[in-house]
Amino acid sequence: MSEENGELEASMPVTGQSRMDAAWGAESDSVASVARPANQTGQVFEQVYKPWNGTLNPRWMRNWAIFRHHLLGIFRKGHRPWGVPTKLFLIFVFIASLTDVALTLLFAILGDPSLYELWGVGRNNLYAHVLGFFPRNMLYYPLVAALLVGGVISEDRSNGTSALYFSRPINRFDYVGMKYLAVASIQALIILGTLMLYYFADILSMGRGWAWIIDTFPMFLTTMFCGVLLIVTYTSIGLALSSVSRGKFFPGIALLAIVLGTKTLAAIVEGLFDKSILYLISPYDSIAHVGQALIGANMMYDHPWVWSLVSVLAFNAISLYVLSVRVSSMEVTRE
Amino acid sequence: MTDEWVIETKELTKSYGPHVALDSLSINVPKGATGLLGPNGAGKSTFFKTILGLIQATSGEGSVLGHDIRTEGLDIRSKIGYMPEYEALDDNMDAIHQVRYSGELLGMNPVVAMARAHTAMEYVGLGELRYRPINSFSTGMRQATKLACAIIHDPQLIIADEPSNGLDATARDSMLTTLYNMVHSGGRSVLMSSHLMEDVERVCDSMVLLHKGKLAAQGRIEDLKAIDREIEIHVWGSANELEQAMGKDGLDVRREGRIMRIKHDGENTTHRILKCAADTGAQIRRMHEYEASLEDLFIVIMERFGYGVKSSEDLLASPAEARRVDAPEHMGGSGS
Repeated sequence: MSEENGELEASMPVTGQSRMDAAWGAESDSVASVARPANQTGQVFEQVYKPWNGTLNPRWMRNWAIFRHHLLGIFRKGHRPWGVPTKLFLIFVFIASLTDVALTLLFAILGDPSLYELWGVGRNNLYAHVLGFFPRNMLYYPLVAALLVGGVISEDRSNGTSALYFSRPINRFDYVGMKYLAVASIQALIILGTLMLYYFADILSMGRGWAWIIDTFPMFLTTMFCGVLLIVTYTSIGLALSSVSRGKFFPGIALLAIVLGTKTLAAIVEGLFDKSILYLISPYDSIAHVGQALIGANMMYDHPWVWSLVSVLAFNAISLYVLSVRVSSMEVTRE
Repeated sequence: MTDEWVIETKELTKSYGPHVALDSLSINVPKGATGLLGPNGAGKSTFFKTILGLIQATSGEGSVLGHDIRTEGLDIRSKIGYMPEYEALDDNMDAIHQVRYSGELLGMNPVVAMARAHTAMEYVGLGELRYRPINSFSTGMRQATKLACAIIHDPQLIIADEPSNGLDATARDSMLTTLYNMVHSGGRSVLMSSHLMEDVERVCDSMVLLHKGKLAAQGRIEDLKAIDREIEIHVWGSANELEQAMGKDGLDVRREGRIMRIKHDGENTTHRILKCAADTGAQIRRMHEYEASLEDLFIVIMERFGYGVKSSEDLLASPAEARRVDAPEHMGGSGS
C-alpha cells in the first residue's frame, strides 16, 4: 500500500503492516498502528572528501623528514619510537662521557696542577675520550651503536614500513643515506659533542689563550676526525647487519660480537704468540691504531698503522656493499 | 598516450630471466574506479611495481597520469596514493603521527602534513581514534589508517592493493564505501586489486583481468558481463523432454533440477525456448534474463577463453572468434 493514497499495488510486498491495513481499511477508516523505528534525523559520521591544493616540497624536504623523524624520536613523542631502554642508556652514556669534563672543571677550580695534568686536554686524554677501550669502547659506544642500529632497517622489513617509503618519491639512496646520517648524528652528539665540551671546558676553566688553542686545535680536530671514523665504521657495520635481518636484536648483538669478539680473539692470539697482526680483524683496534698514529698517542700495536687504515676502509666498503645490495632488494608489495 | 586514461601501457613486458612476469600487456585504465583481478601469480604485484617506476620493464612502454613509467617514477609516486596490501605501519606510533609522517615523506612540511593528517583520519572514520597507538587498532582500523596515509596529499589516483583483505563485514563495508566515495564524491580515480569479485563489483565500473602475466580481459564490467548472457527458466513437468528438445534445437542448456539456464543465442532465443516448451508440453513458470556475477565472468574467461582475449570488444564482437585469437593450438588457435 502506498502510504499517500492508500491503494494496494501489485508490486507491494505483503507485510504485517499492509495486511493489517487492508483488514482494518475494509470496514472503517481506521488503520492499524505498528511500532516503527524512529526516523533518522541526522548522521553522526558524514564522509566528506576535502581536496588539497598545496604543493609538495622537493627532495631535500623529504630527506629532511626521514632524518628528523629518526633524530627527534630520541627527544620527542610523535617521531620514531625508540625504546625506553635505548633512551635511558643514551642519557647514561652522555653523562658518563662527561666525566673528564667534570673532573677538568673540578681540578681547575681546586687549582692543583698535578691533578689537572691527569685529566686536562692532552694527546693521550683526547685519544682516550674517543678511542680509549675501557670503559668507552667496551661499555659505551659499541652498545650505543648496537641499540641505535638494531631496528633501523630490519624493523622496516618486519613491519612492512619499507612500503611507506618506497611508494613515496624516495629512492633507496636517500632512504638509507638519511637513516645512516640520523643514526650517526645521535652517536656524534654523544661522542663528538662531549669531546667538544671537554675541549671548551678546558679553555674556559683554565683561561687558555690563543697560543694554547693554536697549539692544541690540530690535535683536537684530528681527534674529531678519529671520532667520525669510529662512528662511521660502527654505523656502517651496524646498518649492514640491520639490513640482513628482520629483528632488532640480531643486528645489535652481532655488532657487539664483531667489535668485542674480534678484539678478544686478537688479544688471546697476541698473548700467546706476541703478534699484534690479528688486530686487523678487529674494527675497534684498527681505528684505535689509526687514531694513535694520527693523534700521536702512545702506539700499542706492532704492525704498520697503514694496514689498520686499509682494514678500516675494507670494513666500511664491505658493510656499505652489503647495505646497498640488501636495501635495493627491499620490496614495496611484500616482504 | 592520452588524457582519457590514468594508466596506459603498450606491450609492457617484464621478465626475470626465463620467467615472464608480464607478457606484452597493453592496458588502458580509465578515470574512475577500476578493479585489477587475477589469481595468485597473475602478475598483479609486478604490474604495480612496474607502473610505480620501482622496477624497469624489460620492454614496452607505459604512463601513469601522463608520466613515463621508465623515467618519471618519482613524479608518479608523488601523484598517486599507494595503499599496500601487507602491514605497512609502525605499531608503536600513534595513528595521527604515522599519517603525518607519510605526508612528510611526500614533501609536505610538518605543519601542513599534520593538518592534512587530521582531515584524512576524519575522512576514513578514525577521527576520534587518531591519537591511539596503532598496536591497539583492529585490522579494519589499520587498513583505514593505511588508506589515510595514501590519501593525505589528495592524490589523483589511489592504488589499493587488496584493501578489504582480512576485514570483517562492517570494516569491509566501511572500506568499500570510502573507496566508492573517493571516486563518486571526491572525483578521484581508484585502481584496486582484489581476490573478492564482490568488492570489485561494488566499487568499480571497469576491470582488468590478468592471467599468468597476460591480459585476459579488460573493459567495463557491464559490457564484460554481457559475454555470458543466459536466460533462466523454472520448469514444471516434462523437464527432461524440454532439455532434450532445446538441445536438439541447438541451444546450450545448463540444468539444475527444475531450473535451466540457456545461453543467449540471438534475438529469437526466447521464442525458440517457448516453442520447445509448447512442443513438449512443459510448463515454464518463470523466465528471466540471468545476470552473471563477476565471479561467473571470471570463471568463464579463465576457463573458456584462455589467454588470448585482448579486450572486452574481442569477446563481445565474436566470442567464437575470440576463442581462437592467440589461443593455444589444441584450443584451435595459432598457438602464438
